[in-house]
Amino acid sequence: MRYPTGVRRAVALALALGCVATGCGSGAAGGGRDGRITYAVDSQPDCMDPQISPYDITAALSRNVFDSLVTMDARGQIGPWLATSWTISGDGRTYTFRLREGVRFHDGTPFTATAVKATLDHTVAPETKSQYAAGLISMYESATVVDDHTVKVRLSRPYTPLLQVLSTATFGIQSPAALRTNRGKTCLHPVGSGPFVFAGWARNRRIDLDRNPDYAWAPKGAGHRGPAHVAGLTVEFIPESASRFGALSSGQIDIAAAVPPSHISRLRQADGFRFLRAPQPGAPYTLLLNPYRAPLDDRRVRQALQHAVRLDDLVKALYSGQYDRAWSVLTPATAAYDAKAEGSWPYDAETAARLLDSAGWTGRDEAGYRTKDGKRLTLHWPYMNGLMRDQRALVGQGIQAEAKRAGIEIRFTALEPGAYLEKAIGRDADILAFSWNRAEPDIMRSYFASDQTAKQGGSNAFGVKNAQLDGWLHEASATRDRERRDALYAKAQALVNSEALALPVYAPATLLGAAERVRGVTFDVQAYPRFYDARLEE
Amino acid sequence: MGTPLRWLARRLLLALMVVFGAANAVFFAFRLLPGDPVRSVLGSTNPTPELVEQVRHELAFDQPLAVQYGRFMGRLFTGDLGDSYQLQQPVGEVISSQLWPTVQLAAASFVLALLTAMTVAVLTANRPRARRVSSTLELVAASTPAFWIGMLLLALLSFRLKWFPAMGGSGAAGLVLPAITLAAGMAGVFTQVLREEMERALEQPFVLTARARGSGETAIRLRHALRHGLIPLVTLAGWAVGALFGGAVVVESVFSRQGLGQVTAGAVAGRDLPVVTGVVLVSAVAFALINLAVDVLYRLIDPRIDERSIG
Repeated sequence: MRYPTGVRRAVALALALGCVATGCGSGAAGGGRDGRITYAVDSQPDCMDPQISPYDITAALSRNVFDSLVTMDARGQIGPWLATSWTISGDGRTYTFRLREGVRFHDGTPFTATAVKATLDHTVAPETKSQYAAGLISMYESATVVDDHTVKVRLSRPYTPLLQVLSTATFGIQSPAALRTNRGKTCLHPVGSGPFVFAGWARNRRIDLDRNPDYAWAPKGAGHRGPAHVAGLTVEFIPESASRFGALSSGQIDIAAAVPPSHISRLRQADGFRFLRAPQPGAPYTLLLNPYRAPLDDRRVRQALQHAVRLDDLVKALYSGQYDRAWSVLTPATAAYDAKAEGSWPYDAETAARLLDSAGWTGRDEAGYRTKDGKRLTLHWPYMNGLMRDQRALVGQGIQAEAKRAGIEIRFTALEPGAYLEKAIGRDADILAFSWNRAEPDIMRSYFASDQTAKQGGSNAFGVKNAQLDGWLHEASATRDRERRDALYAKAQALVNSEALALPVYAPATLLGAAERVRGVTFDVQAYPRFYDARLEE
Repeated sequence: MGTPLRWLARRLLLALMVVFGAANAVFFAFRLLPGDPVRSVLGSTNPTPELVEQVRHELAFDQPLAVQYGRFMGRLFTGDLGDSYQLQQPVGEVISSQLWPTVQLAAASFVLALLTAMTVAVLTANRPRARRVSSTLELVAASTPAFWIGMLLLALLSFRLKWFPAMGGSGAAGLVLPAITLAAGMAGVFTQVLREEMERALEQPFVLTARARGSGETAIRLRHALRHGLIPLVTLAGWAVGALFGGAVVVESVFSRQGLGQVTAGAVAGRDLPVVTGVVLVSAVAFALINLAVDVLYRLIDPRIDERSIG
């Protein structure tokens, strides 16, 4: 039977449209991506200039585009990268770097001492408006080009963590020619010398990174030499974690970032997928306690809070064992972490009750909260939703419920960013909580040195002023004696716990879900994924 | 001929005032929010005090309110929306690069909702059994959050059956699921209104006349009742613009689509005043133009409206 041409044409058209709409069932799954890895992340960078943007996502993507002067290995040892060797002057204030020859930026210009100077000057220039990097090198004075491949960096005071700072993606070396021509637009035109070239940014959709075919200067410790194995990296922005996970499990992407811990066991049971985990260094998610305002100005009340919360159970229940419960204000993945802190302030309801009794909180009101002179034991804990990744609102509610059992009321309140910052900077709170990813114990100085208050750009939210802490933390940042440093940080960690200045909660980890065929994804010391060694197996 | 022109001029002036009012509202609303706007712009990453003061000066937040207002309005009248704080890009560029995907999504959803509503209303008006089933479904569609519909569609049609991509959305394939999600609620509302109006029309004497002339049921429904029923939908078009734009914020993030909705969500969260202002102005202009078009359409559909209307 023959159909009239009109009908046949209509059927053909419908089929063609169907193919457009569905890719005829082939487009989504595997293959056909020209050797590129599709990597879905949960947030979009605000800016791709690592010296401007303070966000983790910028640093994580920059790690694949930029090289740094030096590299840090998993044990915290500094090794050569764009700098082949360096010397430090006796006073610890002048660093002289010998630079690698033959390195070229993505724009074709050669890497020389000028690039190091231009990058550091760019970081501290007021018009750059650096929101993070400039604060890390506040002791930077100047850089001098000695010859094409020698540069001297001068500091206003000795600062031992400088090499760690320079090893991070935040201090990826930029092409000076590109910095000049793109002035004011460096956010959209990152030009480094790394294994991948920034190739385009469709806002709110994706960033494309292409393989750098000339790459030949991977740091020691990389899995191979020469250019990256894969043709490129397509970074898709999928903010919904359910969508991201679904896209991974249906084969539409190769790797998903920020897999919710609750999904990990499903990923492990499913065929064809792998799960990658890297513990993050720095400060764990920590509740800072305000020691200068009643009721937490009484050390016994702060200690009671330490003993009142079953953190082991809480962290295990919420994070399915993927994040470790924290014992110190440094995570176990941080150099100078002191394992002696573990178990030093266990859950103990009786001790908590005894401490509160001795502090005078002996009454009980009708809601079951403790009172003193008719006043309820209440702690104010404001937060803003923007900072509450990893289900931190649930952590807060869990701690709130635990505290209630001990008779402590915690008012856990969500605020607008403006209102939150007003309270945080004005120290109008009893508890403030956040985490900080940094592969350097010097992060403790930002949290507890008296010159690092929020107003001064530090993280010492409540302006803790403790002469011992100040002394230890400053000495530790200046000394080059590794054992001395470790001892100082151990003392500082113990003091923070014994004074109950903080309640560390959990140590975050980078959790990636990957298709089985993706191999060789590694992590840098900050737990940012690196795709240089990655390859696709068929 | 003078009257329609004068009418149009007056309506245009009103539209301009709407846009001006929107600009004022966004300027003052931003200043009424609690906290230091400069700190909010810089985020929660502990900027140095020097940087805070530098940005405060650049954004003129250290000037008296009147000066800030004058500066804001002055730039607005020259068409300069300024640079985005967050994206370091001119606002005009940000909006124009993201406008088209949202217009595509909104247009596709509107057409889809309208076609669905017309089909369902014609099939179910004055048919009690079909009507009962359909109106339950309409209520469900109208009251289910777009977020949920989107996740269900993704789970079934993208993750399980792999018919459609889960993210991105350039081209027809990427538009299907977002358009269905955004259209669902609107189709529910449209159908209810349309059927109500059609049923009223089907009881009118002119329908009886048409039947007496021997017109078939289908012809009556399509030619007479449907045409009548469409008039209130024209009124709803103004509402639809708001619903589509508000819905785009959710739909675009569920489907990881480019567009103004995502830009708006990001700008509001980051207190990016120039971008928020730009988006508010664009939507105010769209709103004013659609309403103007609706008024013009009224006069064309039903010339009697002219006499009693405010114009």
